[in-house]
Amino acid sequence: MDASTRMMDVAARRLGSALPAWNPDTDDVLVVQAVREETHDVKTFVLAPKNPTAFHYEPGQFLTLDLEIAGEAINRCYTISSAPTRPHAISITVKRVPGGPVSNFLHDTLKPGSELRAVGPMGDFTCFRHAAGKYLFLSGGSGITPLMSMARTFHDLAIPRDIVFVHAARSPADIIFRDELELMARNQNGAFKFAPVCEGDAPREPWHGLKGRLSLQMLKLTAPDFMEREIFVCGPSPFMAAVRTMLGEAGFDMARHHEESFNFEELAAAEPEVALEVAAAELAEAAKQAEAPAPMGEAPVAAPVTTYQVTFAKTGRTIEVPSDKFVLDMARRAGVRLPSSCSKGLCGTCKSKLNSGTVDMKHQGGIRQREIDAGMVLLCCSKPTSDLVVDR
Amino acid sequence: MLDTTDTPLQSLLRRRKPGYSLEAPFYTSPEVFKADLDIIFHRHWIFVGVEPDVPEPGDAMSFEIGGTSVFVVRDDDMGLRAFHNVCRHRGAPLIHDYKTTIGNIVCRYHSWTYGLDGKLLFAEHMGADFDPSCHGLKPVHVRSLEGLIFICLSDDPPADFDVMAAKMAPYLAPHDLRNAKVAFEKDIIEPGNWKLTMENNRECYHCAGNHPELTVPLFAYGFGFAPEELGEHERAEADEYAKLVTTSHREWESCGFPSEMVEHLDDMVTGYRTERLPLAGDGESHTGDTKAACAKLLGTINDPKHGALHFWTQPNSWHHFMSDHAVVFSVLPLDAERSLLRTKWLVHKDAVEGVDYDVANLTAVWEATNDQDSELVGYCQHGARSPAYEPGPYSPHTEMLVEKFCNWYVGRMAEHLGR
Repeated sequence: MDASTRMMDVAARRLGSALPAWNPDTDDVLVVQAVREETHDVKTFVLAPKNPTAFHYEPGQFLTLDLEIAGEAINRCYTISSAPTRPHAISITVKRVPGGPVSNFLHDTLKPGSELRAVGPMGDFTCFRHAAGKYLFLSGGSGITPLMSMARTFHDLAIPRDIVFVHAARSPADIIFRDELELMARNQNGAFKFAPVCEGDAPREPWHGLKGRLSLQMLKLTAPDFMEREIFVCGPSPFMAAVRTMLGEAGFDMARHHEESFNFEELAAAEPEVALEVAAAELAEAAKQAEAPAPMGEAPVAAPVTTYQVTFAKTGRTIEVPSDKFVLDMARRAGVRLPSSCSKGLCGTCKSKLNSGTVDMKHQGGIRQREIDAGMVLLCCSKPTSDLVVDR
Repeated sequence: MLDTTDTPLQSLLRRRKPGYSLEAPFYTSPEVFKADLDIIFHRHWIFVGVEPDVPEPGDAMSFEIGGTSVFVVRDDDMGLRAFHNVCRHRGAPLIHDYKTTIGNIVCRYHSWTYGLDGKLLFAEHMGADFDPSCHGLKPVHVRSLEGLIFICLSDDPPADFDVMAAKMAPYLAPHDLRNAKVAFEKDIIEPGNWKLTMENNRECYHCAGNHPELTVPLFAYGFGFAPEELGEHERAEADEYAKLVTTSHREWESCGFPSEMVEHLDDMVTGYRTERLPLAGDGESHTGDTKAACAKLLGTINDPKHGALHFWTQPNSWHHFMSDHAVVFSVLPLDAERSLLRTKWLVHKDAVEGVDYDVANLTAVWEATNDQDSELVGYCQHGARSPAYEPGPYSPHTEMLVEKFCNWYVGRMAEHLGR
């Protein structure tokens, strides 16, 4: 058997009928199948399990990578850029961040054959849970990945769906998946509209399309009927804050606005005290200018922590909270607004019912033992010790 | 000497005729009502509730005394604390519910947060010059007399509360109110001045004609009668009753239940009266059949036939402690012509509703009696508005204690206004 026949064998096995679903509980090792250069600083890593299994997920969900970098365990979440319609492999698309330990590690060390450990897919930022005839996807920078997964899915299924995909990039050279998005637009005959917005020109490509930072004016131009659309947003927090402001001004029904913070490194990194200031500064910044993707910074590697999923039952949002971070703080940074005030367990304003899960809570009298016994927690001073479902 | 510097209220107080009801303005005038709040309700011990209203740390109860909102809270050391229910920021009430459970004390408006000791723990955005220690909650004096909660809004509360407490504690202790629970409570608004509500409570002249339920457990002559008007049969009954009181007292006292009458209704600033009284019929409780309403007895009582201990305080409460349950009453003035009557029925905290007691049976006598009294108070209020109203004489045999209530009131008012 020569090498090429062996390769055919593997491919044939991967396409075997009735493949079992990938189960990270029993096999969390994924092998890098391919590394694709999307732009000068963005790479896609195509991953597949060692033993052929199929990936089942909803477009927009994420994987949590369980990495060991320089002897330290680090968890990072990456939204999946591939589509579940192609279940044999799964892709994450990562932008290299100057000084960022994880993105640089991935960019510099992963090559075909490398192995990674991962769990997932999970998350509820998916259009499949908000069926609509018309969608508006708004992405900033590498926040494009979950929306790309959704777009690819509809394209593959060839189910007509009116989608306007607005993507904000720094320059035309930074438009991730540009060719493929243009191809999808051509294939879908106007039902899919791709509208990149660039802040400026690229060295060898002056930009003639929508230029500047995403504004309400641009939104009205590219999707005049945006008020009727189900809107999905992903990008750096200032970008998402700016979109919220924009939609708020337009009087958009925010129940039909869904956002995902993909930039988890940024969220998880800072200390809670710093985080509060950052969140406040971000909001101020967002108010000051209509945002395009800001350069993303990865924070220094923190001590090894486990990351838990925190789901807010009433709003349907799910966020990631590392075990050394307070739930309220992470929620705030992810754009989940909860009543709160003192942030130190005194006032009880953030008192919430925990439908499931456990926390490590250090309050200062803002809650009674009886309330704790009844399943209440103060989110401002609670760190997760398991996945949580909060009745908010 | 001409009393040219007299206020109309001082004149009214001075010309009050002993043995007679008060003049109409005492029941109708907003000015007199204002003075009542200031002198009576802001400077005396006011009964506001029971410890079982706030059984556990963090339990709070708010109430209004003539427009002054106050709350009582159980602290982490099981102590009782009372504060003015006013945020030191912009004055919003801190406790909005009648009863609630809190962690710290938090103003909903801007989340100013106080510890259960009233210290300001947290106030955002107030700048570097802000001194939290100058913005703690304003405390209110609070005392518990064997589980009965009294507060005093004055900075200088009457000291003779301790005298009353020392005398009363042995009477109340066997009923162990702290280990009881509020099985039922009810507020009614009586259409009358608070003094009419109190006066009505201080006599049973009206009982035979108006309280068919209450007079089942209570002896008709328990609160006085005119001996010369009694027929032979009635006299025999009255004699029987007098004997029963004497023998009951002897028996109860012998097994550790103080019973003898103590009365300081108008000779103390903190006026009160108590006595353990026998009950009619089966002699167990204030119920329709005079049997105990609750199978589990209060405190250390092991025999339901321990009569009914009554305890009255000036200016605003009366209570009945039976072996199986207690009924406590608080009168809180609303305006010159309306008063809140708050009644609570308490049983042993381990008694189970539907098993050890039936709420309807527990509350029937006093629910009916309160409604009847409310109507009677309304009659008097209506009458006080008539130009034909003039103070009428009290019965020397059955209304002595109304007279003492009025003496106490007039005395306290005069004391503060200057005679």
